[in-house]
Amino acid sequence: MNEVSLLHGFLTIGALLFGIGLIGFLSRRNMIVMFLAVEMMIQGVSVSFVAWGRYHNNWDGQVMVIVMLAVAACEAAIAMALILMVFERSGKLDIAVHQRYREDNQPEYVDRDLPPPEDKAQVWPNLTPAGVEPEHDPEETAYRSHV
Amino acid sequence: MGFHEQIDALIDDTQRSLALFGPELALCGTIILLLLCRLVIGDRLSSTLVAFAGTVVGLVAALFSWSQVAGTSQEAFTGMLVIDSFTIYFRIFLLAFAVLFVVFTWRSGIPDREDAADFYTLALGSLLGMCLMVAANHLLMVFMAFEMASVPSYVLAGILKGRRKSSEAALKFAVYGAGAAGIMLYGISLIAGVTGTVHLPSIGASLANTMAADPSSSVLWVLGLGGLMVMVGLAFKLSAVPFHFWAPDVFEGAAAEVGGFLSVASKAAAIALLVRVAIGFGFVQEASAWVDAEDQSVVQTTNGVDQTSIASASGETTSQIFIAARIQDGNSASGQNSQDVQTTGADHQQGTDQQDTDQQSGDQQGTDQQGADQQTELTQPDESQLSPEQQAAEAERLAEEARALGIAQRREAQEVANESLGPVRTYISYLVGFLAAITCTFGNMAAYGQSNIKRLLAYSTIAHAGYMMFAVAGAIPSIGTSTTLAQDHISALAVYVAVYLFMNFTAFAIIAFLRNQTGSEEISSYAGLIRTSPGLAVCFSLLLMSLIGLPPLAGFAAKLLVFSALADSGLWVLLIVGALNTVISLFYYLRVIKAMCLDVPEEGQQVAVFPIWKNIDGWFIFLLTLPVVVLGLFWGPLREWALAACSQLLS
Repeated sequence: MNEVSLLHGFLTIGALLFGIGLIGFLSRRNMIVMFLAVEMMIQGVSVSFVAWGRYHNNWDGQVMVIVMLAVAACEAAIAMALILMVFERSGKLDIAVHQRYREDNQPEYVDRDLPPPEDKAQVWPNLTPAGVEPEHDPEETAYRSHV
Repeated sequence: MGFHEQIDALIDDTQRSLALFGPELALCGTIILLLLCRLVIGDRLSSTLVAFAGTVVGLVAALFSWSQVAGTSQEAFTGMLVIDSFTIYFRIFLLAFAVLFVVFTWRSGIPDREDAADFYTLALGSLLGMCLMVAANHLLMVFMAFEMASVPSYVLAGILKGRRKSSEAALKFAVYGAGAAGIMLYGISLIAGVTGTVHLPSIGASLANTMAADPSSSVLWVLGLGGLMVMVGLAFKLSAVPFHFWAPDVFEGAAAEVGGFLSVASKAAAIALLVRVAIGFGFVQEASAWVDAEDQSVVQTTNGVDQTSIASASGETTSQIFIAARIQDGNSASGQNSQDVQTTGADHQQGTDQQDTDQQSGDQQGTDQQGADQQTELTQPDESQLSPEQQAAEAERLAEEARALGIAQRREAQEVANESLGPVRTYISYLVGFLAAITCTFGNMAAYGQSNIKRLLAYSTIAHAGYMMFAVAGAIPSIGTSTTLAQDHISALAVYVAVYLFMNFTAFAIIAFLRNQTGSEEISSYAGLIRTSPGLAVCFSLLLMSLIGLPPLAGFAAKLLVFSALADSGLWVLLIVGALNTVISLFYYLRVIKAMCLDVPEEGQQVAVFPIWKNIDGWFIFLLTLPVVVLGLFWGPLREWALAACSQLLS
């Protein structure tokens, strides 16, 4: 197998990974899956960087990949923290829920119906009674669907 | 070269670079202090004070480095960064902003006592990334600095922890940012892969070579796509249409303080990065560094550094070979000395398989081989080697040839190379110009119907990003042909950014102070402000009029410089779009002024009382509004300074 066909193979894989990631990023509504898709885009880039480095016979590509992975990890950590924060408040991972900010005269954009709001009564975990049950914050129960 | 020499070279380079890195080091130190202070001393030492002291030290260091570096353009950290007067101008700008920002947040009280350390850590971390953005000289650095500036600002956008709205803003920012960074990375991988180098000036040289060899090469499509993808990332940072969607939502959801931060500092760094990348792709620098390299035998240093790190050093030598090749091309037209350098690549291929004993000539061969590869694009790198004697002779001959080429010839070569880059510049200029025109128009149109002042200013910053991009789009076509014209454009941009700091930052400061009193950020809540606090209303009106660009305010001077440079370049389309947009923007800014000065507050509406002379807040606003008026009348010195700042950009 010569160098050029090796390069082509790796670049194709890289482009496919990037493309799948991009499509996933644009089409998914689950926040965690969206960030997974971004990671996949970055993996695609990594594969093509390594392939180019091998082809040009230098370390530039691999160095880029190492730095990129570190940066991507930071970004993913921040994103996960934000997602957790939002999830704690709304109890949903669907990004379409978050449309509070939009132009004044625009309706909410919904490509497929949003899941109906859960109106089940609050279910508390069934633990062995110990002590006195704490008082529930009515405000908290209003926006939290579960604990 | 032995291992120890390489390490020594690397240490020398690092020491030299660290001396140029003062302001950034001050920021790093402040960040560490901020985190440790809370741990060790506790609440007794205010984080605001630490942040203030740190940013002042940084600013002083930046001001000192202006005189220290004046007149030279140096590469730092093995070519990752370039420290020239353009870098230092923007560094001074960013650190001055940092000082003002700390004072402003101290007065407006958004990071409360508990959060202050985190808030300033994030803000200064982001500023550190921005300082690196303006100095980026390497695609790796472009990406790293981009992320260093972005990631903390995602958290800053959500700093109002208790509010659901704030976390929504942060989330949207993070989602957009992650997507844009991914696409930008793929663009970087395409460009780096095809040109075979990650060092921005070498990319220009490599592109020139490709273009000269075959102006209709299919590889150019790949490069064009790569450029487009890199532009996606930059457009996200600049909030240029069509990647602006995050801006209004984030500005509305985040605190006004963070809005000021994102709209001024982040935008200035992004536009400087755009200039750097555009010049890197569309311009071949005169190999002045090459002369030094030959004289001080830095060739060894650079090659040594190259093997131990990712450095551009190899790129530097590569670009020398390119330029040498270009000179050969130029000479062969006049019948001398034909095809010497071109044939060296072929010579290597006929070489025997002996061990590479002579390191230096081996290096020479490596770079030469790389050069040959790039010339023929995508050919297979061959592993064959020459016998040591042949290599030594070859290297000597090459070095001698290189020395023999005088500066005049080098200039000539640069001109030839730059000429062949013409289509690349046209492409970048069209791309940036088109984005600028739609950004400007869309921003101004969309701002028209807004009722929330932060959202309105968000669209206003989008429009202003468009004006700034006009200057870049105007500068690029004349980069290789008329340096003075290009400098006109870029210095106009530098003036615009400086003026924009005062206009927009002060506007956000006023919004924050008024929010602290009334708790509202709606334009309607400003009704009757002229009666209760006339000084503030006048200041705010002046700022808004300056944002429109009415004479005799600073905004007018900045716009005048940008537009007159456009007229000099004969870019009438952009000029007309810009002028029309200025007219459109008149309406929505005036609407805010009307609300303040003419509207009567509704029954029971709380109107802010904000005396401008009685407290520090008032003085802060007044002192920041003052430059907007003064710079509108006397913008000569600022322009001189800006011209000096971009004098080394195109050498």
